[in-house]
Amino acid sequence: MSQRPRGRGRPSFQAEHRDEDRGADPEAPSTSRAAGGASQGARRSQAAPAPGPRTQKQLELKVAELVQFLLIKDQKKIPIKRLDIVKHVMGDYRDIFPDLLKLAAERLQYVFGYKLVELEPKSNTYILINTLEPVEEDAEVRGDQGTPTTGLLMIVLGLIFMKGNSVKETEVWDFLRRLGVYPTKRHLVFGDPKKLITEDFVRQRYLEYRRIPHTDPVDYELQWGPRTSLETSKMKVLKFVAKVHNQDPKDWPAQYCEALAEEEGRARPGPSAAAPSS
Amino acid sequence: MQAGARRTGAMTDVHRRFLQLLMTHGVLEEREAERLQSHCYKVHNRSAQVDKLEDFIHNINSVLESLYIEIKKGVTEDDGRPIYALVNLATSSVSKMATDFAENELDLFRKALELIVDSETGFASSTNILNLVDQLKGKKMKKKEAEQKEGEFTLHGRAILEMEQYIREMYPDAVKVCNICHGLLIQGQSCETCGIRMHLPCVARYFQTNPDPHCPHCNDCWPHEIPEVFDPKKERETAVSKSSRKSQRSRQH
Repeated sequence: MSQRPRGRGRPSFQAEHRDEDRGADPEAPSTSRAAGGASQGARRSQAAPAPGPRTQKQLELKVAELVQFLLIKDQKKIPIKRLDIVKHVMGDYRDIFPDLLKLAAERLQYVFGYKLVELEPKSNTYILINTLEPVEEDAEVRGDQGTPTTGLLMIVLGLIFMKGNSVKETEVWDFLRRLGVYPTKRHLVFGDPKKLITEDFVRQRYLEYRRIPHTDPVDYELQWGPRTSLETSKMKVLKFVAKVHNQDPKDWPAQYCEALAEEEGRARPGPSAAAPSS
Repeated sequence: MQAGARRTGAMTDVHRRFLQLLMTHGVLEEREAERLQSHCYKVHNRSAQVDKLEDFIHNINSVLESLYIEIKKGVTEDDGRPIYALVNLATSSVSKMATDFAENELDLFRKALELIVDSETGFASSTNILNLVDQLKGKKMKKKEAEQKEGEFTLHGRAILEMEQYIREMYPDAVKVCNICHGLLIQGQSCETCGIRMHLPCVARYFQTNPDPHCPHCNDCWPHEIPEVFDPKKERETAVSKSSRKSQRSRQH
């Protein structure tokens, strides 16, 4: 087991603490793994006590665990806390957590088409956004039913946007009543609509649910949550509403302008673009 | 700046969509996988020729390798249908990932698994499993990997694909192996003289054209009914429902 770096012609992944060039591909060709003798490459320092030099294979495995953890956690649509990641997956590797996370994010994007995003800056919670556009026919080849609750969510999001980005809870129920959805009555498809809207969607960060002060009887207001802004757009929601009414989005000029403005805001690349590797 | 210059395969949106949708299934039959594949090609307007499914999957697997997961192909033990499932190859993270289930539920699953592997028939009766519950705190749990047949539990195709390695490591003495394909065996037929075992689909293939089957090991007469080899074409023609097909298989030991 040679201690010299193998002549692979690029900076060895395990040589440094990952603080630089992401160009080095840690998922090196399987020769390194198949060769049995782990490609140790350069050890970090001669006197290597705890936690010991990490082999490329170990690092690769750690990234793999992280990717799997993120995929599974995201399935529930609950934002993933940095603390949980460190607690359940990192272990001894917590010192290089940011680098491992970055690698995991790249793998998620390249392999699955999922983007790892921080829910709000400095919140230390993450979600996965699908970069592939969902297509109607996907529903026919899915293994699960998708979630029927998405329909209800879309309606509420639409209502919120059309009413100027904020709506009172009482207004929501007045509207949903017309569709046969009641806060106190069990629904065949949605189960408990009240819980869905005021708890589940809020926990998943699709909605924000805030008490309006000085109201009697107490009323709450509903707005879009941070996940909604990341996963969809005002224009998409407007198009959905228009489709439901069998009309054109432009039939609502105020909302159309607002949606357009948001699109333009997003299209303009900001000064801090997505993490430039290296 | 993606790792574009991989010597392994290249992922495109066609592959990604396939992978995403595959993950919504626990396990997929070959025919459904082909359908899924052609859907993904259609979505991305690939006028390119659709790869053969095996090559397509092989390409994806070469990329998945570094993530220690794999789209594994297997064959159902009862009627020999080819199936595909996404499996985790890194056994170290098995317990960590199972945050869906409570500790006692996992414990029950492990104990039930042990019962199944130890059993003669590959089935554990629900009574025996329920008796295990007394040794744990908590309620009985249902898991997709346990398939129920007339009050007995066994392991379904996906569980076997995913857990073969784990089972072999955990129960090296109790584990049964097929004499033909050397894969893990939960259900199958066995020779009454020398005790070797074979999967039903392996039996079907091995004795396919043989009017007078004999044990490949001790040459004694093979006493059991020889099942038919799974034929996907016949599948498509007949409109036989899944449930009636399953009951045609006979398990004998």
